[in-house]
Amino acid sequence: MTLMLKQIFAFLKLLNSDTSTTPLALGLSLGLFLGFAPFLSIQTLFVLLIVFLLRVQLGAAFLSAFFFKFIAYLFDPAADLLGQKILELESLRPLFVTMYNMPIVPMTRFNNSIVMGSFAVSILIAPISYFIFKSLITQYRELVVARFKQTKLWKAFAATTFYNWYCKYDQFYG
Amino acid sequence: MSEQKEKKKTKGIIRWEAIIPTLIISVLVGAYFHLFFDHHLKSGLEWAGYQAVGAEVDIASVKTSFFDASLSIQGIDITDSENPSQNSISIGEIRYAMLWDALLRVKFVINEAVVEKIEFNKPRSKPGKVKPPEPIDNSPSFIEKEGEKIANKALDQVETKYDNNVMGDVAALLGGGSSNAQLGKLDAQLASKKLAKDLETSLNSKKTEWEQKLKSLPKADDFQKLGAQLGQVKTSGFNSPDELQKSLSEIDRIFKDADSKYKELQAANSSFNSDLNGLQTGLKDLDQQIKSDIKELEKHFKIPQLDAKSIAMSLFMPYVQPYKDKLFKYRAMLYKYAPPNLLNKDKEPEVAIQPRPRSKGLTYEFGRPNSYPLFWIKKTAVSSQAGASPYSGFIEGQITDITTNQLLTGKPTVAQIKGDFPAAGISGFSTVLSVDNRKALSLITMDTKVQKFPVKQKNLVNSDDVSLGFNKAQGSTTAQAKLVGYKDLNLEIKNQFQNIDYAVTAKEKTAEEILKKIFNDIKMIDLNVSSAGVLPRVDFNISSNIGSEVQKGLQKEVEAQIAIARKKINDYVEAEVSKNRQAIEAQIQQFKGQIDSEIKKLQQQADSEKKKAESKTDQAKKDAENQAKGKIEQEGKKAVDDLKKKFGF
Repeated sequence: MTLMLKQIFAFLKLLNSDTSTTPLALGLSLGLFLGFAPFLSIQTLFVLLIVFLLRVQLGAAFLSAFFFKFIAYLFDPAADLLGQKILELESLRPLFVTMYNMPIVPMTRFNNSIVMGSFAVSILIAPISYFIFKSLITQYRELVVARFKQTKLWKAFAATTFYNWYCKYDQFYG
Repeated sequence: MSEQKEKKKTKGIIRWEAIIPTLIISVLVGAYFHLFFDHHLKSGLEWAGYQAVGAEVDIASVKTSFFDASLSIQGIDITDSENPSQNSISIGEIRYAMLWDALLRVKFVINEAVVEKIEFNKPRSKPGKVKPPEPIDNSPSFIEKEGEKIANKALDQVETKYDNNVMGDVAALLGGGSSNAQLGKLDAQLASKKLAKDLETSLNSKKTEWEQKLKSLPKADDFQKLGAQLGQVKTSGFNSPDELQKSLSEIDRIFKDADSKYKELQAANSSFNSDLNGLQTGLKDLDQQIKSDIKELEKHFKIPQLDAKSIAMSLFMPYVQPYKDKLFKYRAMLYKYAPPNLLNKDKEPEVAIQPRPRSKGLTYEFGRPNSYPLFWIKKTAVSSQAGASPYSGFIEGQITDITTNQLLTGKPTVAQIKGDFPAAGISGFSTVLSVDNRKALSLITMDTKVQKFPVKQKNLVNSDDVSLGFNKAQGSTTAQAKLVGYKDLNLEIKNQFQNIDYAVTAKEKTAEEILKKIFNDIKMIDLNVSSAGVLPRVDFNISSNIGSEVQKGLQKEVEAQIAIARKKINDYVEAEVSKNRQAIEAQIQQFKGQIDSEIKKLQQQADSEKKKAESKTDQAKKDAENQAKGKIEQEGKKAVDDLKKKFGF
């Protein structure tokens, strides 16, 4: 939990810094995918492994997963219907039969209507969302953070000894 | 500062610092499964077993292997919920290994499972815990409760029907127990006697009512007066049409008067007939009540039914009842744990696609013939060797194709087990059980045989008057059962008991001697139980040669006493009710004769007066017609004569 909170604070810090937007946008997009996927499935494990082993912002991924889990919950009835439609498509039947009888693939639980519906939506949204998140972060930094840094309040706060101490601390241990 | 930023920027895409924590987590997970998982699984299985069976389940050890995908459970003891100091079944070991090929497809397929060292009724070192009854809140829904109530009621009816202790009643009768002295005390309780009194009162009131009514009805004088009036009416020699019209009006008035009196008599007649019918129905009801009273008295004074079926049912119902209870218990368990799609099938399932409802979404099975079902134990070998413990035996058998989807395996689940339990004296046990869920309606068949088994201290009848049972006997049994759609049951069980040592005691010495003699002559008893119907409303039919044998034996001794007792009851009812009944019948007949003849006589008179009036009317009309005709002829003749004169003829 501490690790998770630390990562979320790190995300907020990075969001307001000048660092690259790629790990943040990637984290948010993968979090979206995690939010839509069922907790116990091979694709969740796979995405978690990517999040851990690749340089993706963990806080962004957790925060996004937490947020999109609620969205996915609200989306469940629609996902159920969409999943049923896909799984009952006659043209895809041979593919599903083959996939169902293949090793590993059934561990994705693709044969569940909600999983299939959510997967179809998340696979479509996740790549697009990467670019959207990237653009939103850039705009946030330009429109909100930059303006805030120009305010007198921030300038006064930045001039305090406390802030200087914090910057030193962050430089060495942050 | 700028150097540090550059350092940060040079970090590659892979987060190398996460490798060690990931490895540590993996090692910890591996260590948990290696060190603690087996123990936790053992506790989990014991808890689940307790919840499912309703009695303590103990497991000595559980061993799992990830690489072999295997499980071994040793020392399973399932407490007998009816006798917690012993196990209902103990299993030495169950072991199996799953196929990794199937596990990678999220299927659980076992090529061969082994069940070893099976023991029954083994004493426990300490009594096992038995689950208390479910709290009221968790009881079934209102509809289920009502359904259960109806089912229980039906079962109770079957039980109470044969709950009459025939042998106890016979012993009481043989012992000279007489109930005749008590007959007098039942005087007030005879429903037929009360009914006879009511009928008599009703008859008397009707009689009075009709005597009153007869007075108000038209009398013979009235009809005579009408006749006299009719005689005075002129029916010929009319001088004018007015005179004819006057006569006709008079006749019409008399006719109408006679007709209204006739109708009054007719209405009285039909009303009387309806009252008479009511009295006669009352008489029939009285006859029925007399019969029912005689039956009630026979039941009250325990006059036994000496037919073979009643004797067999009375003797063997206590023997069959525990097995029947177990049958319903196991059926309830089956219903609780069997997959819902097996219990509510209404159409032929499809092999390729089978949606299964879950709490979240629908999970489809895209099976194809000969692919792995979700769960499949291809073969379970069951074996046990006698000698290690007096509760074990030689058991050999196999259960094939236990699966969640028989459509994919294309085979039914079949269990074939045979064995002997020398220490328990059981030999030649064999059973073949088949569960076929491939069709819309599942089919379960069972064929079981036990060539020899001992029967010890089995009490069949235990009443105040007599106690009857087996000290020991040797039995053999065959059972065939067929259950369609988990509901329609057909069951045939044939038992034979030989080398029987009967335990017969009766309160009266004479009765005991007679019963001992009768039973000692019966060397072999067969007991056939058949049952058919929709569960749980099934009728159990018990037949046995013991019924006819006992009937034969008792025929001479008891029949005469039964006849005497019956006669006494009949005589009593005769004295109390039948005499009254006859008197009432006679009164009804007399009443009928009296009123009936009176009304008929009056009706005849009315009839005759009506006819007279009709003939008078006809006569008057004819006479008038003739007169008119003559007058016209005369006038015509006169007119012709006048014409002739005018023309000078």
